[in-house]
Amino acid sequence: MSDPQDKSAKDEDGARVELPEAQPRGYFEGESMTRRKAFIVGSQALGGLAGAAVLLPVAGFAIAPVVGKAEERWEAVGLVDDFEDDTYRSVVFTEIGDIGEAGKTTAYVRKGSDENEGETSDEFVAISTRCAHLGCPVRFVQSANNFICPCHGGVYDFIGKRIGGPPVRPLDRFQTRVRGGKVEIGPRYSVTNQLKAVRTRDPGEFTGGIWEYLYPPRPTVPAPPK
Amino acid sequence: MKLPLPTRGKKAAEGSNGGDPAEAVPNGDAPAPTRRERVQRAKELTTHHGAEAGKSAADWVDERVNGSGIYTAMLTRKVPKGTNWFYTLGSSVMFIFAMQAITGVVLAMYYTPSPTEAYASITYITQDVFLGKFVRSMHLWGASLMIILIFLHMARTFFFGAYKYPRELNWVIGVVLIVLTLVMGLTGYLLPFDQRSYWATIVANNITASGPVLGPYLADFLRAGGDFSTTTLSRFYALHMLVVPGAIGALIAAHLFFVVKLGTTAPPWVKAPRPKPARPTEMVPAGVAVADDSEISLNGSSNGSVPVEEPAAAANGSTPEAESPTEATEATEAAESPGEVEEA
Repeated sequence: MSDPQDKSAKDEDGARVELPEAQPRGYFEGESMTRRKAFIVGSQALGGLAGAAVLLPVAGFAIAPVVGKAEERWEAVGLVDDFEDDTYRSVVFTEIGDIGEAGKTTAYVRKGSDENEGETSDEFVAISTRCAHLGCPVRFVQSANNFICPCHGGVYDFIGKRIGGPPVRPLDRFQTRVRGGKVEIGPRYSVTNQLKAVRTRDPGEFTGGIWEYLYPPRPTVPAPPK
Repeated sequence: MKLPLPTRGKKAAEGSNGGDPAEAVPNGDAPAPTRRERVQRAKELTTHHGAEAGKSAADWVDERVNGSGIYTAMLTRKVPKGTNWFYTLGSSVMFIFAMQAITGVVLAMYYTPSPTEAYASITYITQDVFLGKFVRSMHLWGASLMIILIFLHMARTFFFGAYKYPRELNWVIGVVLIVLTLVMGLTGYLLPFDQRSYWATIVANNITASGPVLGPYLADFLRAGGDFSTTTLSRFYALHMLVVPGAIGALIAAHLFFVVKLGTTAPPWVKAPRPKPARPTEMVPAGVAVADDSEISLNGSSNGSVPVEEPAAAANGSTPEAESPTEATEATEAAESPGEVEEA
C-alpha cells in the first residue's frame, strides 16, 4: 500500500500477479521461521521446561497430603460391662497421634439397643462430640437426654440426630469393636439423616443425596463401615 | 538530589563548567579534553579521600545505576494540591508491614513450630527472653494495627475516588494485598498454639471445607490431611513466614511502582482549575486586560474555527493564531456564540 506505483503495475500486468509471496526480512528461501525466532522459541521452551522441572515436584510435595491415606487407630476405652444401653459414658482417647493433647478427643459411648433406629443390642455406639455445625465440642445433657452445643445452640437427640439449631447433619460416630472383653474405638465416620454410614465429612457439610457429590468423599479419611 | 557526574561522553565534556569547582575542567577556549584525559579525570574523581569519599561513592553508584533518579522519582515527585494526612495511610501500612517482617524474623529465632513444643517456646519468648514480651507484643498488636490501617487506606482511596481511571489496576492489587494480609492474620493466629489458636483454626478450616466441591480438598490442603495433624502447624508457619510475606512484598513493589508512575489524586474537594464564566462583553470596561485569564486564552485558541469573513476579526486583520487585541477577541466571541461563553 505504501507504494502505489507497484500496486498499479501489478494490477495492470497480469503476469506479475504470480510473483512469489514477499518473505519477511531475515527469512531464507524455504524457511518457515527465522533463526532469531527459532532461538527465541527454543530458549523460552527450555526455560519453561526448567521451570516445570522445579515447580511440578514442589507443587506435588506441597499438595501430597490431599491424597494421602489416613492411618487407622484403635484404642481400648473400657470393659464391655462398663457401658449401658440407656445412657452414655464419656471416654477420652487419642484420635490423632503425635500432636500431644491436641490429638485427644471425647466420645460418648453406650451399648446398642434394638429399640433405637439403626442399631442392635450386640454392638456399641460411640458418638463424637464434634458438632456438625462448625466443630465445637458438644456435651450430653442427661436431664434433657440431648446433646447440646455451647457455641451456636445446636441440639441433637439421644441417638445423635439433629433436632434443632444450625447443624446440617447428625453427630459423627466412631467405629467400635470388642477385643478381649474390652470395647475399642476406631476411625470416625459420618452418617446421613437416615443414619447410613458414609465417609467422614468435615463439620458444616451435608450428607446424603446430592450432597455426596457436592462434598465429595476425600481419600484422606478412612472408608466407612459396611 | 542531582549529583554532578564525572565527565563522561560528549555532553559532560562540554558542559562541565557549571558544577562543583573541584571538578572544573578546562573550558571556554581551551581544547576539549581527549578521551584519555577524561578517563584519567574520572579515575581521579572516583579515588578521592576524606570528605570527598562519600560523595565519590555516591557518584560511583549513581553513574552506574542512576540511583539519584530513583530517589528523585520516589521522594521528590510532585503531589497534587490538597494532599493531606490521609495520604500517609499507605506509608503507615507499609511501615507496619516492615515492622511485622523484622519482629517476625527475630521471633522465628526462638519459636518452634511443633504441636508439642510451640506453646512452650512462646512461653519462653514471653517470660525468659530479654525484651521478648515487648517484641512479641509489637508483632501481636502490629497485626491488628495493620488490618485497621489497611482498611482506612482503602476507605481513603474509595472516598477520594482514587480508584478510578487510570488507577484501577492499583485498586485490584490493593484488594489482593488486603486478602493476603487477612491470610497472614489467619495463619499467624494458630502459631501460639493455645486453646484460642487451636479452636479458631479448627473453625476456620471447617468453614473452608464447607464450600462445595473444592472446599473439602482445600481444607485438606490447609491442614495437610483429613484432620488437624502433626504437620498442620508447620504448614501454617511456612505460609505465614515465607509464602504470604513474599507475595505481599512483591505486590507492594508493584503497588508503589504504579503510585510513582501514575501519581496521586487530589482530594475531591480540591477543584481542578476550571475556566471562570466570562462576563457579558458590554460589562467589561474598555481597556481591561484579561488576556492572562485562562478563559480568554482557551477562547483564543478556539479562534481557529472563526470564519475569516467574521467582520471584527477581518477589520483587525488578525489571523486566528495571532494574539489579537482584547476588544477584537471579545467582539469575535460575542459574535460567534454569546450564549456559550455565558454557560461556560
